[in-house]
Amino acid sequence: MLTTAFLASLLSSPPAIADEAEASSCLRTKVWDGYSDGWAIRTMTSTELTSGKTRSYLVSLYADNEYRIATCGDASVKNLDVLLYDTKGNIVMRDETTDREPFIEFKPPATGTYYVVLYLREPVEGADKAGAAMAVVYR
Amino acid sequence: MFMLSLLSLLMGGCSTEAPPEPAPTEAPAEQAHPETPELDVAQLEADSEEVALVPSPVETQKALEAAGIDTKLSDLIPKHKFDLDADSLDHAAVRTGVLLADVLLTVKSAKTPVLIKRIDAVQKGMDQLNGGKDIRLTLDDIKERLQADAVTRDDLLKEFDELSGVVIPELEFNGQERVVPLIEAGSWLEGANLVARAVKDSDNKKAAETLLKAPTVVDYFIEYVKTDGADKAPEAVTKKLEESLLELKAVASKTEPLDDADLEKVEQVTNAVLALL
Repeated sequence: MLTTAFLASLLSSPPAIADEAEASSCLRTKVWDGYSDGWAIRTMTSTELTSGKTRSYLVSLYADNEYRIATCGDASVKNLDVLLYDTKGNIVMRDETTDREPFIEFKPPATGTYYVVLYLREPVEGADKAGAAMAVVYR
Repeated sequence: MFMLSLLSLLMGGCSTEAPPEPAPTEAPAEQAHPETPELDVAQLEADSEEVALVPSPVETQKALEAAGIDTKLSDLIPKHKFDLDADSLDHAAVRTGVLLADVLLTVKSAKTPVLIKRIDAVQKGMDQLNGGKDIRLTLDDIKERLQADAVTRDDLLKEFDELSGVVIPELEFNGQERVVPLIEAGSWLEGANLVARAVKDSDNKKAAETLLKAPTVVDYFIEYVKTDGADKAPEAVTKKLEESLLELKAVASKTEPLDDADLEKVEQVTNAVLALL
């Protein structure tokens, strides 16, 4: 009985550590599924995020290509945000969802450099870190 | 207010028992962080990673088409005569990057023996760079399936996209941090060379604005190849690459539209590096 309760409590608790592998696995599936719709990958990477903190990536994007910044958070994420900033620090685009797999799509009017920002806006209760993966895909 | 006062009076005046414990109130739920993180440009510049900065050659092909030029970059790839035995780090990395770009651009169209030869050359470079057993086995497996006609070219493109954009950037190359940027530089240089030729041959010079003005990308490569302060003389390839990148930076940073002379310059300085490989 104790063992069952202990296992149940373990299973219902948020993971103690950020699980980048889980986030990457989720994103990999999305990326490869996207090939059937004409998307192709530039790069995919993963990271650990602390609650309320960000991780940013410099990206150069070609005019008139369609881009999708796809992400996945692990089970510790309640609300992951993805934002695109220009080099002057203005937000060009952001996701509006409250989930752990947000994405944004963007077709740059001119070739340029941008910052992709991942933001752990809200982890699940009891967690303060999370694993997240980000991919830049285009078509 | 009246009701509350009355209630207090009633409770205080009519009971001799100890006042009841206040009902437990739920702790307020922890607030989510603000909608927009506090960031400024200096912080973004300082903290941003460059792992997603460089476009892939296939992405460049897409951008060429989006700019209105139908030329297939794969048709412009020359018959490179590279020294595949040159195993110094910078030479092997830049050369492998060029070859990887050629594989990506031709994976859907090249005849099997030609493609296998290119993959062999990439594999040799990966060995010279200490890419490790996994990448060698992966490339062996791909070659076997290609020879057995057991993989579609669409699937193969996905596999090489993953190798180029996800797997290789994660390899450690014996702790040599410059290997990945130099491989990327080789791929980008090949792409820039092909694009300059494609745009020059077209009636759409405006496409050069879209495809060749990428000073941030060039800066990233310069950061890794610069030889100022190096404790030994740079390899010939490194020295030429640095010179070429500085010239490409000047072209990419121009505020006025690029012209034929700029396209000529891009072709010339990229050729100068390719000739040393």
